[in-house]
Amino acid sequence: MSQWTEEMRTYRVGDVLPSVTKTITQAKINRYAEASGDHNPLHLDPAFAATTPFGGTIAHGMLVLAYVSEMMTAAFGPAWLRGGRFKVRFRGAARPGDRVTASGRIVRDEGGKIFCDVECRNQADELLVSGDGEVGIR
Amino acid sequence: MTLSLAALPKGHEFAETRIKLTSEWVAGYVRSVEDDAIGSVVEFGFPPLALAACSIRALLDQAALPDGAIHVGQELSFSLNRDTESEVVARARVASRGERQGWVLMGIELSVESESGAVMMSGRATITFPVSGGPAG
Repeated sequence: MSQWTEEMRTYRVGDVLPSVTKTITQAKINRYAEASGDHNPLHLDPAFAATTPFGGTIAHGMLVLAYVSEMMTAAFGPAWLRGGRFKVRFRGAARPGDRVTASGRIVRDEGGKIFCDVECRNQADELLVSGDGEVGIR
Repeated sequence: MTLSLAALPKGHEFAETRIKLTSEWVAGYVRSVEDDAIGSVVEFGFPPLALAACSIRALLDQAALPDGAIHVGQELSFSLNRDTESEVVARARVASRGERQGWVLMGIELSVESESGAVMMSGRATITFPVSGGPAG
């Protein structure tokens, strides 16, 4: 893996951020539950999840949101980690078997503070997460 | 018996929790979310959501998520430093709670500070669950 270098990057309003795509599996959901301590049966227990409006297990929202954070890290490097912010709503559920793509676009630059629209969609182009991110680059 | 979040009123403050993000735990988190980018930012040891996940894990030791709880929104701002092995202090409170059509909508504010008192992360999670929700799992 190559090291992130700040001097290589320029940012313009309208730029599309490099997207991140991951496939959700039940094993990945189980691993995230172990790491996060969130053992909600909606994520882990197919029999329980079948009784909910979702009809089956779904991924943790914070697992899907991690893909957005990875995208921002790839785009903005240390600046994202030194001082990032986001505000999102979870619009739909990511299920085992789904291919989830996090994407974003720069919508505003206020003196070195970059504002982005961010979202996640599944393979059927259904919206799972939408919101905005902010990062100071200077 | 662990308390359920469903039982907590607006204004409830969770007990302050000290957390240590060990390299081992961070490595497990990064594997679980398959973060391929964080390794390229060599001067930082962990993704911001690792800090959030670790803090939430500590809070869930105090009050379990109700069965079928759904995460509907998240705000988070962070200012990370490079040290993965020092302790941080997590604080949280139930900032809002309302009921509508059989569902509770709860906002939980979370902040994480370094040992020196610098704010590393703050934010708000919004969750919803059935009014009759019991502890999960």
